[in-house]
Amino acid sequence: MTEIGAAELSGMIAAMAARVGAERDQLNRLDAALGDGDHGTSISTAFEVAAADIAALEDPDMSAVWLATAKALMNRMGGASGAIFGTFFLRGVSLLRERDSLGKAEMSALLAAGLAGVKARGKAQAGDKTMVDALEPALRAFAAADDFSAAWSAAAAAASNGAESTRDLAARQGRAKYLGERAIGHIDPGAMTVALMFEAIDGCWPENRE
Amino acid sequence: MAPRLHKLINRPEDLVDEMLEGFCAAYADIARCGGDRLVMRAQPKAIGKVGLVMGSGSGHEPAMLGWVGEGLFDVVVAGEVFAAPGPENMLAGIRAADRGGGALVCVSHHAGDRLNAELALELCEIEGIENVEMVLLYDDISSAPKGREAERRGTAGLFFVWKMLGAYCEGDVSLASAKALAEKVRDNTRSLAVSLSSCASPVTGQAMFEMGADEMEIGMGLHGEKGMGRQKALSANETIDLMLPLLLEDLPYRAGDEVLVLLNNSGSLTLMELFILYRHAAARLAEAGIDVYRCWIGPYATTLETAGFALALCRVDEQLKALWDAPANGAYMKQL
Repeated sequence: MTEIGAAELSGMIAAMAARVGAERDQLNRLDAALGDGDHGTSISTAFEVAAADIAALEDPDMSAVWLATAKALMNRMGGASGAIFGTFFLRGVSLLRERDSLGKAEMSALLAAGLAGVKARGKAQAGDKTMVDALEPALRAFAAADDFSAAWSAAAAAASNGAESTRDLAARQGRAKYLGERAIGHIDPGAMTVALMFEAIDGCWPENRE
Repeated sequence: MAPRLHKLINRPEDLVDEMLEGFCAAYADIARCGGDRLVMRAQPKAIGKVGLVMGSGSGHEPAMLGWVGEGLFDVVVAGEVFAAPGPENMLAGIRAADRGGGALVCVSHHAGDRLNAELALELCEIEGIENVEMVLLYDDISSAPKGREAERRGTAGLFFVWKMLGAYCEGDVSLASAKALAEKVRDNTRSLAVSLSSCASPVTGQAMFEMGADEMEIGMGLHGEKGMGRQKALSANETIDLMLPLLLEDLPYRAGDEVLVLLNNSGSLTLMELFILYRHAAARLAEAGIDVYRCWIGPYATTLETAGFALALCRVDEQLKALWDAPANGAYMKQL
């Protein structure tokens, strides 16, 4: 497959909702060490709402899929996480307007716009122990691969490694920043969520399904 | 201390809406539910006055629901437990608060509150809603050092801002002067909290963090954020002797100053303990030559059932004293 259409984008959101939902308790446990322990519940609920809202749209175009996801994350999740995860999708909406499909290069640009929005909104850089530590390497790996199939697999692996790398970092942004050095030894739940999102896409990509 | 894990709720996903419905049923003469998780005055203020709106994560009750009413807030937007409401609900709150004199969005400084208020202001621009301002409020001296006050968190001491800003906006004032008044109260307010226990999330049923039986966290935030560090739990007098000098030197509050004092119960401290704490705080303030104009003791901004308290001071002049004494009629803030 070399082009992604609205149906594939919808399928990706549904796959993310399922994957994040399945790991809800694990994400809550990660958040308990660094935050208030409900990240898994709040983000899985928001993704479920996104998937349901998209399913209820009649013949949505690509921008409508991304916008519905942004709104569900921002409005159902709330807090800093809802605003930042929502911004990742919101910043892509204008790139999807008037389009019927995306090639790999356009997909790369869509993800990059999301990353730029996340960094601007959260004022976070790589190494701050946030979702950026999973998102940035995932996007680099995606861009470097030759085709969609290889790109999703590489991105999923890079996001997972990136999430794992947050274990050794002190927190410098978000509510965990007040923990500073005391955050070392715990994986950031936002970074882990990003890893799950890319794993979900990789797992539902036709050529990559086991 | 292990928190109580069983909560008397129904389904966790319904708890915010059910809480709002119960609150508005109980205080129907003061507040009503406006949809989109808005709680608004039963009788809106007169056309042309500045409207006050604030988003607030749940779990701090009576904050902020109890501050909706005459002489106080026009609209409060509730979020999930310890999570600020999202931008569309904030936008609905701004629309409801605007009585033609503009709306001031008050933000208790935390990343989520600030980001969602900023997003809501972006939505206002897109929708052509003008005359909306945001004011960032903070008071917790443990969350950033002196000189970096704007990085500090908003906690229980903002109580002073709510009351005086609410009274101010009952008058015929401009949006810009309302914002300036909020900043004036903020810049004269300092808070510090200590905590002896964790609390349990009603969403997950798990303790929010771990706390040993004989431990005390100095400077804990309103959501259990870490403060200046942990130590062995102290007596009442020792606790005040640790906290009060830090507060006094931060502003600094000096001999001859008049202050309002708040001893805010974080959840499950007893009033007996709070009175014993106040006894010593009042004595130490008198020794320092600082006059207490009024004091308030009780649960005003809680962290669920956390056992702890915040001590907050606000330096007042004649203008602020008059605003403090002006009438207010919220469910949990009454001034006759």
